[in-house]
Amino acid sequence: MTVPHLVASTPPVSLVDNKPCGDFIQLRDVYKSYGEGLVVMDRLSLDMRADDRLVIIGPSGSGKSSLLRVMMGLESIQGGTISFQGKPYIDGQPGKHGKPLDTRLQTQVGMVFQHYTLFPHLSVLGNLILAPMKVHGLSKAQATEKARLFLARLGLESKLHAWPSQLSGGQKQRVAIARALMLEPKLMLFDEVTSALDPEMVIEVQNVMLQLAEEKMAMIIVTHDMHFARHIATRVVFCANGKVVEQGPPEQIFTSPKEPRTREFLQKVLHLD
Amino acid sequence: MQIDFMVVFSYWQVLAKGLALTLAFTVTCAILGSLGGFFLSLLRLSKNRFVSVPTGLYVELFRGTPLLIQLFWIFFCLPVVFGISVPPFVSVALALTLYMTAITSETFRGALKSIPSEQHDACVALGVARWNKVLYVIFPQALLRAVPPLLSNVVSLFKESALISSVGIADLMFVGQNISNSTARPVEFLTAVAVIYFLVAFPLTRLVGVVESRMLRRYAY
Amino acid sequence: MNYQFDFHFLTGNWGLLWDGLKVTLELALISNVVGVVLGFGLCLLTLSRWFFIRWPAQLFIEFFRCTPALLQIVWFFYCVPMLFDVFIGPITMGVLALGLNLTAFNAEAYRAGVQAVPREHLDACVALGLRPWQRTLYVILPQALRTALPVLMTNGISILQQSALVAIVAVADLMYVGKSIATEAYRPLETYSLIALIYLALSLPIAQFVQWLERRQDSAMAR
Repeated sequence: MTVPHLVASTPPVSLVDNKPCGDFIQLRDVYKSYGEGLVVMDRLSLDMRADDRLVIIGPSGSGKSSLLRVMMGLESIQGGTISFQGKPYIDGQPGKHGKPLDTRLQTQVGMVFQHYTLFPHLSVLGNLILAPMKVHGLSKAQATEKARLFLARLGLESKLHAWPSQLSGGQKQRVAIARALMLEPKLMLFDEVTSALDPEMVIEVQNVMLQLAEEKMAMIIVTHDMHFARHIATRVVFCANGKVVEQGPPEQIFTSPKEPRTREFLQKVLHLD
Repeated sequence: MQIDFMVVFSYWQVLAKGLALTLAFTVTCAILGSLGGFFLSLLRLSKNRFVSVPTGLYVELFRGTPLLIQLFWIFFCLPVVFGISVPPFVSVALALTLYMTAITSETFRGALKSIPSEQHDACVALGVARWNKVLYVIFPQALLRAVPPLLSNVVSLFKESALISSVGIADLMFVGQNISNSTARPVEFLTAVAVIYFLVAFPLTRLVGVVESRMLRRYAY
Repeated sequence: MNYQFDFHFLTGNWGLLWDGLKVTLELALISNVVGVVLGFGLCLLTLSRWFFIRWPAQLFIEFFRCTPALLQIVWFFYCVPMLFDVFIGPITMGVLALGLNLTAFNAEAYRAGVQAVPREHLDACVALGLRPWQRTLYVILPQALRTALPVLMTNGISILQQSALVAIVAVADLMYVGKSIATEAYRPLETYSLIALIYLALSLPIAQFVQWLERRQDSAMAR
């Protein structure tokens, strides 16, 4: 499978404050802490457009995974608001529970995790059809057909009846992506999905993500792989201490970062390249 | 006195009857106890303090006291408390079942806890909520993971059942002791009884290992 | 329920109960010492390179783990004097039976602990020039002990419960004393309840400690 060559487009910039704008997702002053002074999102604001592919980079504990988990509704925020597709999505103001208000909106977000979260007691087919059948009411035949199609797109049709324990790490992650895609989400979240894989399997998973990018899927990716980030991102967002420090097109961020903090981080990370 | 193991074989019928009774109690109380333990573990997950606290105390009570005392209490005290006469078989079966319920509830609780939290996250990500999640994702995995320790519990019950000999139930232990007393050949008969217990418990213990490696490796990890 | 609770008969028997309790504690504690120390030794034997050391050790463990504790105790009490033509005091005999039983179970616990020591540590010992016995004593034992500690303590509580079985061979432990009082005074309810509470009072703190220990170990692993 050839690797599609992507050119990141420059997102429109607000004339008011020169920051990228977008109305697909808007985080405004989002605050999240785990108590005892462990603040992971400190009045964080971020915009995203429907054709954006955001890659979030930054030191550990800077709230990257928390941002994804909050968007998925796995964790709550204690301050700020988040809107999704122009509608209010999460309200973190005092008195509100800080989790998705509308479960229908929540179902339009899909997420893939770092550690294989395939259900081990179900076959690949079982994993793929569980949610479509139980949550979206598809019949078994419809769901199976859809599963077959999705696996074929990823080149895994032969694994339809295999068990997760029989798959390699890369295959498991690809099935996990297919499983999320079965629900036809508008936004895909990838939380360090290749970090736990052996190097030779990283490429096959990244290729799937590039394939999705070609199909214009909106995504937010957290990754340590700067090379891949450069390739897939429309915008790179550098977070530290719970705030967005700098954001911009990948070439700009990686070759000439404006903020000293960004420079410092990239020096540490990229010198391994 | 000469040690002569041949004597054992002439008593094989009595020993077999004893073994049959032991197995009968083991199987019955294992089934009843496992069912009870399963429901008890569900109760322990309850958010309601009035439910989770007493059930927790029940488990601590049965795990923190000797089975012998539980047996004696139910055998001697229960009829007094309720003012009715309870047949010995029932008392004994009750004691063993209550004990088994307590230990299997811990087994099920452990199995539930061992399911990685990422599974719960995946359910949220897929929108699979409450009853669907519990029925199709959590329960199947909890049951699968509970099978090896559950088998171990059954083997334990099989061994602990020897205690019922102390209240006069004619199980394998009782029969063995009886014969060894009447023939004044403790070495032969007690060793023979030990071998019989071993021949049942050992394969079962090995089975636990096999189940764990074969089945679990395929369907649980 | 028209049963009259009456604890007064117990007042004359405190002395007996205390003696019984002392015997129980003695049995439990000494068996534990035996089991914890010998258990590690037995575990090492099962991991030996030589088949003729490994195999009997494993058989020993399997035999003690696959037969009832009551049977082991009865066997010791009736067969050992006959087989070896010795007289051993009842408490010593009890300690022997319970101690060996615990040794077998602890050996398995230690084995899990030993196998959890990362291979890299063993390699590092070779690299540092430590001899095998030094490696075992200074590197393997401490780590295996830390991993196995909750199980060792749980087994210890088990032996406390199993010690009640010596009452059946007429060793004057707490259970035996309780049984005598209950039968003499025709008051099984109060006596057995009290005995049960005493055992519970002995086991519960240790069980709670084990839970706390396991929680601490879990969070240490998670970091």
